[in-house]
Amino acid sequence: MFAEKVIELIKEVDRNPDTIDQYNDEKIRQIIEEMHLLFKLNMNDANATTENRSLWTTVQVRHSALERNKRCILAYLYNRMKKIKTLRWEFGAVLPPDIRELLSDDEYQWFSKYSGNLALYMRSLGQDIGYSGIDLTENLKPPKSLFIEVLCVVDYGKLELEDGDVVMLKKNSRHYLPTSECQTLIRQGILKQIM
Amino acid sequence: MVINCQSLIQNLKINNRIFPKQKQMSTENSGYLSITDILVTTEKVPCKFLHDLPKMGFLDPSAADVDLKAGCSVEIPLWLAESLYSRRPPLVSVELPKIYKESYREILNADACAVDLHKLGQHFYELGCYVAKHDIKSEVAATLNNTYRQRFRMLLAASMSSDSINTMQPLSASERIQAADASNTERSFLTWLQRGDTPLTTANMVANHRKRKRAEMEML
Repeated sequence: MFAEKVIELIKEVDRNPDTIDQYNDEKIRQIIEEMHLLFKLNMNDANATTENRSLWTTVQVRHSALERNKRCILAYLYNRMKKIKTLRWEFGAVLPPDIRELLSDDEYQWFSKYSGNLALYMRSLGQDIGYSGIDLTENLKPPKSLFIEVLCVVDYGKLELEDGDVVMLKKNSRHYLPTSECQTLIRQGILKQIM
Repeated sequence: MVINCQSLIQNLKINNRIFPKQKQMSTENSGYLSITDILVTTEKVPCKFLHDLPKMGFLDPSAADVDLKAGCSVEIPLWLAESLYSRRPPLVSVELPKIYKESYREILNADACAVDLHKLGQHFYELGCYVAKHDIKSEVAATLNNTYRQRFRMLLAASMSSDSINTMQPLSASERIQAADASNTERSFLTWLQRGDTPLTTANMVANHRKRKRAEMEML
């Protein structure tokens, strides 16, 4: 049956709406092979339609299958692209290595470009009123207080604060830190706010 | 109940303001790149072929012939049926899948809440919208409307209930999403009403990635 492999790909996306999967290189290759085959068969039959008019219907069926495959692959890539965009906002400009290896080379290139564009835009913000850029990934929730108490969830290492103090972030240690310094780390799941 | 409905509708409005991203997703649902729409169009519908199709015998698993003869009925995916139907002249005539037929319509009109849409048709409403135009008596559209109206109370109950596994069970895929959205909204509305401190939290994708990694580690 036509276009069945591509549905497995789509189901993969549907199953995990909140996480990104390994780029399915192998399956994409198989689908493109199927499309090449369909195209070749269609070429042969289209050339033969002068003798046998009824072949024309077959050509139309295969053509629909080709278009279907194309649509599904585009949808797969597009939905991954949307997730990669979210990666930039949630993990930051530097991806952890285990996430990095889930992306294909082209996707990683796209990520770097997107990341660069976003940084450029954020730097250009507020220049007319004397700021040198605004980090849009900060303060996604209205800040309630200047300092918050946090619990460290993983062994992170040293964190240097803006005033020059160095804090050692060890697992299960508690700290009282400026909100502005730790909200990125909270979003990355390294710290947890204690209420 | 009326007050509940109103608060739900109000919540939905608030929801759109808080999460404009989700609204954008729903407009995408009818689009070329929508995953849901692709899954809906993979569902099979019975079709009658009006022309001979040489070399297409494999579409009908029961036929031994290489060619597909005009006049035989085969179940083919909706995307193929739609595209063949829209040719001039149409190559197939699309028939209704069984849950949109007279007998099932009667059941749905009698008591839609008694039907387990998860088992019968995951994408009941979406597929219905596609096949409604192939219904000669055009009763399918009214049935869809009526079904949703009857099931709305059930949907509301599912989104309010804490025992989500049992109440969510008979809902179709899109109903499940609606119920989940409604209960999320309800929760964020309540926290907003309490004016409590909103603690800073880990980003959604980061948390999910970590959860899944932990599950993989445990499996090893």
